[in-house]
Amino acid sequence: MQGTVRQGSRFSLSTVWKVFGGVLFIYLFLGFMVIPTLNTLTSIFTTTDSQGKADPWAVIRFFLAGNMPSFVWNSLKLAICLVITVNIVGISIVLLTEYFDIKGAKILRLGYMTTMIYSGVALVTGYQFLYDSNGMLTTWLAQLFPGMNKQWFSGFSAVLFTMTFACTSNHALFLRNAIRGIDYNTVEAARNLGAKPFKVLMRIVMPTLLPTLFSLTVMTFITGLCAMSAPTLLGYNSINPEIVRLAGSSSADESFPQARAALLSVILAFFTIILLTVLNHYERKGHYLSVSKTKAKLVKQKIQNPVMNVLAHIYAYVLFIIYMTPVAMIVLFSFQNWPAIRGKALNVSDWTLINYFGQQDYAWVNSRGKTKVRTGQISGVFSNTDTVGGIRLSFILSAIAAALACVIVVVAVNYIFKHRNKKRSRIIEACLLFPWLLPTILICYSYRIYFNNEVWYVFGQNMYFRENVRFLIIMAYTVVKLPFALRMIKAAFYAIDDELEDAAKNLGASPLVTFLRVKLPIVLPSVLAVFALNFNALFTEYDMSATFHSSYGKSYAMVIQSMCSEEGRDGMNVNASGRRCASTVFIMLVSGLILYLVYGVGARDLGERLASRKKWKQRFARLLGKREKKKDIAHKAA
Amino acid sequence: MIQLNDIVVKFGDFEALHHISVHVKHGEFFTFLGPSGCGKTTTLRTITGFIQPVSGTVTMQGRDITHVPIEKRNIGIVFQSYALFPTMTARDNIAFGLKIRKLSRSEIESRVDEIARKVDLSEEKLNKAVSQLSGGQQQRVAIARALVTSPTIICMDEPLSNLDAKLRVNLRNELKRMQREFGITTIYVTHDQEEALTLSDRIAVFNKGFIEQIGTPNEVYNHSASEFVANFIGDINPLGEEIVQGLHLNPGNHHFIRLERIRVNRSNHDGTLTLPGVIEMQEYYGLYIKYYIHTAGQTLKVIEKNDGINIYEPGEQVTLDIHPSDVMSY
Repeated sequence: MQGTVRQGSRFSLSTVWKVFGGVLFIYLFLGFMVIPTLNTLTSIFTTTDSQGKADPWAVIRFFLAGNMPSFVWNSLKLAICLVITVNIVGISIVLLTEYFDIKGAKILRLGYMTTMIYSGVALVTGYQFLYDSNGMLTTWLAQLFPGMNKQWFSGFSAVLFTMTFACTSNHALFLRNAIRGIDYNTVEAARNLGAKPFKVLMRIVMPTLLPTLFSLTVMTFITGLCAMSAPTLLGYNSINPEIVRLAGSSSADESFPQARAALLSVILAFFTIILLTVLNHYERKGHYLSVSKTKAKLVKQKIQNPVMNVLAHIYAYVLFIIYMTPVAMIVLFSFQNWPAIRGKALNVSDWTLINYFGQQDYAWVNSRGKTKVRTGQISGVFSNTDTVGGIRLSFILSAIAAALACVIVVVAVNYIFKHRNKKRSRIIEACLLFPWLLPTILICYSYRIYFNNEVWYVFGQNMYFRENVRFLIIMAYTVVKLPFALRMIKAAFYAIDDELEDAAKNLGASPLVTFLRVKLPIVLPSVLAVFALNFNALFTEYDMSATFHSSYGKSYAMVIQSMCSEEGRDGMNVNASGRRCASTVFIMLVSGLILYLVYGVGARDLGERLASRKKWKQRFARLLGKREKKKDIAHKAA
Repeated sequence: MIQLNDIVVKFGDFEALHHISVHVKHGEFFTFLGPSGCGKTTTLRTITGFIQPVSGTVTMQGRDITHVPIEKRNIGIVFQSYALFPTMTARDNIAFGLKIRKLSRSEIESRVDEIARKVDLSEEKLNKAVSQLSGGQQQRVAIARALVTSPTIICMDEPLSNLDAKLRVNLRNELKRMQREFGITTIYVTHDQEEALTLSDRIAVFNKGFIEQIGTPNEVYNHSASEFVANFIGDINPLGEEIVQGLHLNPGNHHFIRLERIRVNRSNHDGTLTLPGVIEMQEYYGLYIKYYIHTAGQTLKVIEKNDGINIYEPGEQVTLDIHPSDVMSY
C-alpha cells in the first residue's frame, strides 16, 4: 500500500461484505436489467412461420407492410407538436411570472404550478371530467350549441392539449431557476447600450436560457414519445398503448403480437438513446455561467406598450384559468353528491363528504315500477373496498420500491465515492444508469414477457403469476427509479467533505459507524427527498401499472382509470365520478404534503431545525404559562 | 517525542516525500511550512496514519507507530475545514470520540464540559448546530474535539486558511494561548510564512518533497539555509553584478538582501556600500512604506518605517547603504 488510506483490521469482514454486495449487484443487474431486455430484443428475430420454421425477418416485414409505422409516426407527431406547445406555454408562464411585471404574478405562479401536485392519470381524468363527452364544459357548451360534436375532446388534439399543460412542471421549476440566475446588471448594461426591451429579451435573456431550454426540449420530446396515460385514456394510437395492447394479446388473435410489441419497444429505446446521447453531449459542453461576482437580482420588466401590456395580462389569466379550472372544479365537485356531479350543476346548498368517507345505499325504480336497492353502492374513497385496495397496494409497492432504490443507490454511491478513480466504480455507475437508456415500457414489457415463465434464477417461479406480480412491479418500479436516485444522491455525496471521514476515522470510528453516524445523516435529507419524490411519482404511476395490470396487481392508477368507465352501470358504483374527484384531491394532498416535506422541512439544516424547535418550545411554554395564569386567576376568584 | 526517520511516500510513480527526517520535541509548537504541493500535508498525514510510507518509520515516545491504525495512534487532528459534523451540535461533535470509546454518559458530559470551559465555549454555544457558530467558535469546537480524547500530540492542517485576514490574526493568538495552556505538542501545517513565524517554536521549510531547513523562526528568517528558504520566507532582493562587485562578494554565488536591511539616507557604517538611487515608485502601507529604488543598474525594493517625516516621493534622489553582513549568499 503506497500512499493510500489504511483499511484497519476489518479486512476479512469487509471482504465478505464486498463479495456479497458484488454478487447481489451482478445478480440484480443481469437478472432484472440485462437478461429480460435481451430476451425482448431476441424475440423479434426468433419468430416462426405457420410451419414452425424460423423466420427472423417476419416481424420486420410485417412492420413495413402493415400499419405499425403509423404508431411510430403518431408518437413522433405527438412528440414534435408537444415540444412546440410545451415550450410556448412553458416559456410563457415563466416569463409572465418571473420576467415581466404582471399584476397578481404570485397567484398566477401558484396556478401554473398546480401540475406539480396534479399530474399523470389524475390530471388526465381531471381534464376528462371537464372536457369529455359527459364533461362539465362539454355539457355546458352542448346546452349553448346543441349541434356541437360532444366527442370533441378525444384523439390527437385532446392528448396534445392535456399533455401540453401537464408537461410544463419542468419549465416552472428549471426554467424559473435559470431566469432567476440571470445577472440583472447584464440587462441594465444592454439597455444602457441602447437595446430596446424586446431586443434585451431576445438577445440577452433568451440565450442564457437556451441550455436549460434544450434539456427541457429533449425531455419533453421523450415524454411525448413515451406517452401512455393520455393516449390510452383519450384514445390516441401511439406506441405505448399499442405495446400494452399487444402484450396482452395472443397469437390466436393476431400475428406474433409479442414480437411486434418487442419491436416497438426497441424502436422507442432507439429514439430515447439517440436523444439522451445528444442531451449528454450538449450538457458536457457546459452551460452559460454568470461571470459576475456581485450578481444583481432580476428586476421585473414593465411592458411599456399599453396594448401589449393588456394583451399579456389577458394571456396570463387565460392560461391561469386553463390551469386552475379543472383543479377548482374537481375540488368543488368532490364535495358534491352524485346527482349534482351527473348533472354537472354545482349545488351550493348541499355539500357532502360521501365521496371521501362512508357508504350509502342506492335505490331506483326499475322498468316494472319496482323499487330496487343496491346496498352500499354509493361509497367514499376510503370506504370503497376496491379503491382502498388500490391505495393500499400502490402505497406498499411504491414505498418498498422507493426505499429499495434509495438503499441500493446509497450503498453503491458510498462505494463509488470510496473508489472514485477506479474502473469498477465507473462500471457500477454505468449499470445504475442503464435503465435511463431504456423506455419504461420496454423494461415493463420485458419483465411481463420474460417472467411470465418459470425462471430459474427466481427460484423457478413464474413471477407474473398471481401475487408474484407484485414482486415484479416492485422490481420494475425500483429499476426505473435507479437513475434518478443515482443522480440526486450522488450530488448529495459531493457535499461530504473528505475530511469528515478522516476526522471520524481519527476519532476511532469504524467505516460502518462513520457511514451511519457521519455520512448518512448528511445525505439523509437528500435521500429522503429522493424517496419522497420517487414515492410520489410511483404512487399514482400509470404506465407500469397498465403493463402489469391484473387482479393481483391493480394499482391506484388503474382504480382511478376504472372509475372513468364504470359509473352508474346497472346502479353500480353510482358515485364513481365523485370518488374520482375525491381521489384527485387526495393525490394532490399527498403530493403537496410530500413536496412540502421535501422542499420545506427537508431543506432545513440542523441549525434551522434547532431554531424551529426552540420557537415551538417557547410557544408551548407561553401557552402553558397563560393556562397557569388563567388557573391562578380562577383559583383566586374562587 | 515524535520522530520521522527517512520517510518516503509515493503516489503511484510519483514520489511525494523524499527521505524526510524530523524530530519534534515534547511540548513544542512545530510548523511544516512550504508552498502548495511541497509535501507538508503528506508528511502530516503520514504521522496521523492516513498515509502509509513506502519506507522509513514514524516513532512516538520511542514506540514505532508506522503500522499502528489511525484510531490507535492517539493523535488529535484539527482539519483545514475543521471537518465538524454538520448534522451534530457542537456538544455532540466534541463528544463523538468519547462515545466511540464507549465512555459512560456522565464521564462524557464532564469531559466535554471541562474542555469546553478551557476553550471558552459556553453552554449555549455547545447546544448550537455547528453551522450557527462563528468561524472562531467553530475553530474552538474543532480544537476541543481533538483535545477531549487526551491525545499525545495534536496536528493542525492549515486551520486558519479559510478565514478572513483579521479573524486569522485573532485566532492565531488564541491558538498560541491554548497551546501554551495545554502544553501539548503541536504539529502545524501552513503555507503562510507570517503565521509560521509568529506561532512556531521551530519550523521545517518544505520544498518539492524535501525539507530545506529546520530551525527557529529567527534562524529560518535571518539565516536561511537556501535560496528557496530565503525567497519563500519574507521578501528579498537579488543583488546585481555592480553591487556584488562593490561589496567584494564571490561572483560565483547568488546574493540576496532583505528589504528592511537596506538603509535609505542614513549614516554610513564601517564597510557599508553607499549607492546613489532614484525613487521609482512608492507603496504606502501605513505602518511602513515600500520604495522601488533604481540604483546600480537594477531596481531594489526597500522598506522604511513610516515616521511621518522621512517620506520620499518618486523622482527624489536618495542614498542607499548596504552592509555585507546583511547579504545572504548561496
